Amino acid sequence: MRIALVTTFPPGGGSLNEYAFHVVRSLRQKPEVSEVLLLVDELPAGQSYPPDDETPGLAPLRYRPCWRFETLGNALRIRRMVRQLQPDALLFNIQFASFGRGKLAGALGLAAPLLAKTLGLPVVVLLHNLMDTVDLKSAGFTGNPLVERVIRAAGTLATRLLLRADLVAVTMPKYVELLEGRYGATNAILAPHGAFDEGVLPPTFELPPGPLRILTFGKFGTYKKVDTLIEAFQLLAKRSADPLELVIAGTDSPNTPGYLASVQERYNHVAGLRFTGYVPEEAVAPLFHEAAMVVIPYTSTTGSSGVLHQAGRSGRAVVLPRLGDLADLIAEEGYSGVFFEPENAWSLAEAMAKLIDDPTYRQELAQRNYAAARGLPMSDVVDWYLLHFQTLLHQRAPAPAIAQPDVALAKPQVALTKPQSAQSRK
Amino acid sequence: MHITHRTEGDVQILTLHGRFDAYEAPQLLGWFNRMLPEGEPRMVVNLGEVPFIDTSGLAALVSGMKQCRQRRGDLRLCCFQQPVRIILELTRMNRAFELFEAEVEAINTPWGQHEHHVR
Repeated sequence: MRIALVTTFPPGGGSLNEYAFHVVRSLRQKPEVSEVLLLVDELPAGQSYPPDDETPGLAPLRYRPCWRFETLGNALRIRRMVRQLQPDALLFNIQFASFGRGKLAGALGLAAPLLAKTLGLPVVVLLHNLMDTVDLKSAGFTGNPLVERVIRAAGTLATRLLLRADLVAVTMPKYVELLEGRYGATNAILAPHGAFDEGVLPPTFELPPGPLRILTFGKFGTYKKVDTLIEAFQLLAKRSADPLELVIAGTDSPNTPGYLASVQERYNHVAGLRFTGYVPEEAVAPLFHEAAMVVIPYTSTTGSSGVLHQAGRSGRAVVLPRLGDLADLIAEEGYSGVFFEPENAWSLAEAMAKLIDDPTYRQELAQRNYAAARGLPMSDVVDWYLLHFQTLLHQRAPAPAIAQPDVALAKPQVALTKPQSAQSRK
Repeated sequence: MHITHRTEGDVQILTLHGRFDAYEAPQLLGWFNRMLPEGEPRMVVNLGEVPFIDTSGLAALVSGMKQCRQRRGDLRLCCFQQPVRIILELTRMNRAFELFEAEVEAINTPWGQHEHHVR
């Protein structure tokens, strides 16, 4: 299969260039891909793409610059290039401002999938954001409500143009539901984002020498409070034969200045208590790696937690409050933890004790969280796109008697029920 | 999650039991790598006892299906709880796999009807 990809690509500095790099690296390794054609943006004067790459064992990679950021004719130019190259399938790796921050250039560029589709080949758009969910003010587009309404209307039109592709892939289930609910889309699909760090070694799940460390991390004082945690730590320390340390890492919430200082003063008699203060970015991962468990001592929550994701990346077990649908939310993301009743020191101490008393269980939770945080390898994500292309190609096949090259994985018949609406999925 | 395996004629039937997520996916991938039969593998994966599947679980099934089809066989899925049905639809993998409501149907629907052309 000859695949063309409309994207930015290194050394070009446009957004999504790094993502494209990882997609292309995986695509070239797939036996069913015979050539990768990069329909990239033209670089500024003095810069150029490397020569085409024909490394043996990989699908050849050819650079075909054919569009330019902030210009109006990109959709037509891309279509012309696709017609000239005649790939078997076309993938767009884009977001709403891929073709220009200027409203006209940006919107016209998004007509490229529709125009390319008129050439008859399967067109899939990987759309990294939705205009409907972009905060235009913080994204730097406008602060003017009238202008915002105009941009939103243009965004709606552009979304409808994009939905004329065979498939529009988005990386979050709620985006699929939004496209189905607001636009009546029947061709929006969920495609995992994929993980870049395929070569990175997993963390060790063994504990470092020294006292067994319990870590909490965040900006404290509002709904993240450490008082109950310290009370629970004291209960735990009384019954534990091994030395324990409670590490409270982070600063006051901007809304509660002085909170941590007051806690520190109140509990200065507690042995094994350490306040780190602000933790610079480069010190965050080592801090998590040193911990036996991570406690998330929230008293209320609005959704999943960045601390939970960091604990997962570091391969650490977590202790969480039983709040609202937090347990369901984190389970949907593949995480697991031990739960406690919010603001109940006995319950929290018991939850932490479970992980201290059963190292095998602690390691299992740590590995489960690491697996959830790692995400799907890009190679698997690329398999999904190839499968979608092969299914689309198969649907276009003129007659069953003619052997269609490169449709090895296509499934010719569909069973199961009619797809449900976003509402009925809830 | 645990996996049970049985054979009916030349069809291998895998039944998955329990949550099927990123942590559990390597178990199924390992099965495919070690146990996929010689020749043209005909596999049915019964998901009736899977209450939840995430994209990593689905990716493991895609990998198995890919291995089967590359050897001119196939991998079929059957029996779905609602959360599993939803993710198959959200990802549109319901169009890539052959899906059956009942295991007996997945086993007995004629195999080898499809032209799987491998390069």
